Amino acid sequence: MKTNKKDFPIFKNQPGLVYLDSAATTQKPKIVIDAVNDFYLRYNSNVHRGVYDLSFQATEIYEGARKRIADFINASDSSEVLFTGNTTEAINLVAYGYARENLKKGDIVVLSEMEHHSNIVPWIRLKDEIGIKLFYLPIDKDFRLDYKALLRANLNLKKIKIISLAHASNVLGTINPLEEIITTFKKKCVNAKFVVDAAQSVAHVKVDVQKLGCDFLAFSAHKMYGPSGVGVLWVKKDLLDVLTPLFSGGGMIETVTKDKATFADAPEKFEAGTGRMEAVAGFGAAVDYINSIGFKTISKFDQELTKYGLEMFKKIKGVELYGSKNSKDRLPIFAFNIKGIHPHDVSEILNRKQICVRAGHHCAQVLLTTLRTSSTLRASLSIYNSTEDIDQLIKGIEEAKKVFKIQ
Amino acid sequence: MTQDPLYREIILDNWQNPQNFGVVKNPDIDVRQVNTTCGDKIRLTGKIENGKLVQVMFTGDGCAISKASSSLFTEQLKNMPLSKVRKLTKEDVLKNLSVSISPARHNCALLCFRALQKGLK
Repeated sequence: MKTNKKDFPIFKNQPGLVYLDSAATTQKPKIVIDAVNDFYLRYNSNVHRGVYDLSFQATEIYEGARKRIADFINASDSSEVLFTGNTTEAINLVAYGYARENLKKGDIVVLSEMEHHSNIVPWIRLKDEIGIKLFYLPIDKDFRLDYKALLRANLNLKKIKIISLAHASNVLGTINPLEEIITTFKKKCVNAKFVVDAAQSVAHVKVDVQKLGCDFLAFSAHKMYGPSGVGVLWVKKDLLDVLTPLFSGGGMIETVTKDKATFADAPEKFEAGTGRMEAVAGFGAAVDYINSIGFKTISKFDQELTKYGLEMFKKIKGVELYGSKNSKDRLPIFAFNIKGIHPHDVSEILNRKQICVRAGHHCAQVLLTTLRTSSTLRASLSIYNSTEDIDQLIKGIEEAKKVFKIQ
Repeated sequence: MTQDPLYREIILDNWQNPQNFGVVKNPDIDVRQVNTTCGDKIRLTGKIENGKLVQVMFTGDGCAISKASSSLFTEQLKNMPLSKVRKLTKEDVLKNLSVSISPARHNCALLCFRALQKGLK
């Protein structure tokens, strides 16, 4: 199986590393690390500020990255791409910059049980603050979204103002058919705006904001081979004037007098203060990296890993897998528990063989409550993994069972 | 079979058959603590008589380290004067485990201790 391991220097520096935590953050290819380095080595100066050449070059890198990111998600214009700190911050910008201003008591926000806390907690805070109601779409027996439950729920559909859903689950690996969901709901929930959390999907499947038909879409660079500390909120053009900025100050104004400030246009309006310039440079390189491989290849690779993983998990006794057994519309993310052993103890044993998995609630306590467990192990794979890594994991699990005397 | 360096008999025994597992009747201390890194929960209950912690028990969900540590720690606490209980440090708790705990697992090993500290506030 062809892996892209050679593109990622960490595997040279940490020989023997079996990195299975890409849903938390991906490793970085050399081209991204170089872009970050290069920014400091050659171009460091503040963007949008100086008229000197160096600042102009820095601005070109920064805005060039924005343009490539816009193209990457098929945005109609670069100004729709707003840089934030990460996905969480992007969703908070929707909640506080849009929903708080435009929703009122009794309005409904629709989420799903498989959401990450980043797409739950801001809405809970809004519920407490302005009295909106939350409705959670359930998951079915195959760990897929039962989205039609919304239409059976006897809700006043006109009151639904926001429908905010993950493109892919960070625990189950389920890829939600958002195009179909949004098309269906648009006809029924005529007042709803659609928010997509694409954090888990953006490195794995082609995200096309126009095809999805959403209004807002959030993702982070660090989950798609880019640097940490920078993310994007994509906002459909006609909403850029409705959205209000969370922060104000430098770089986001038109004119300022002692009593009054007028704001610049998007995207600057939403990006107060100096941004993470080197991270944005790396973000652009991450997009280039994904484009150089292509989603066709990535999908094929993901499918191979998913099928192999599901096959191997079937073979070990005493393991409960939380996720569909069908590799279709599913990422190579495996949440599981070994009966009788706590996830932390398994991950401790795996760690000794340099196998990195996540153990815990994965910021998805609502989902874990539905799954009737308080924590699980999670192995999440990416472009630099291989079936050998899954073999190592299975070996490690058997080792843990031995230590804890589980048959 | 060679013993695992961390999951030694003392840990495995106290994990599978924890001591003081349950709830004290009419407790003077009744406190819950969550390990925020994994979501594990513990409930610690205790009875105080004449300035002494005469009875202390715990329940909850947890890994082998947190369960074994709670088991050994509650055993250590029994009949301890409150003045001494208040002086206990996390180092005392970790030492009492008699195995070396990596910093990544301190939250697990100290869950019961943190619950007690909260309960004594």
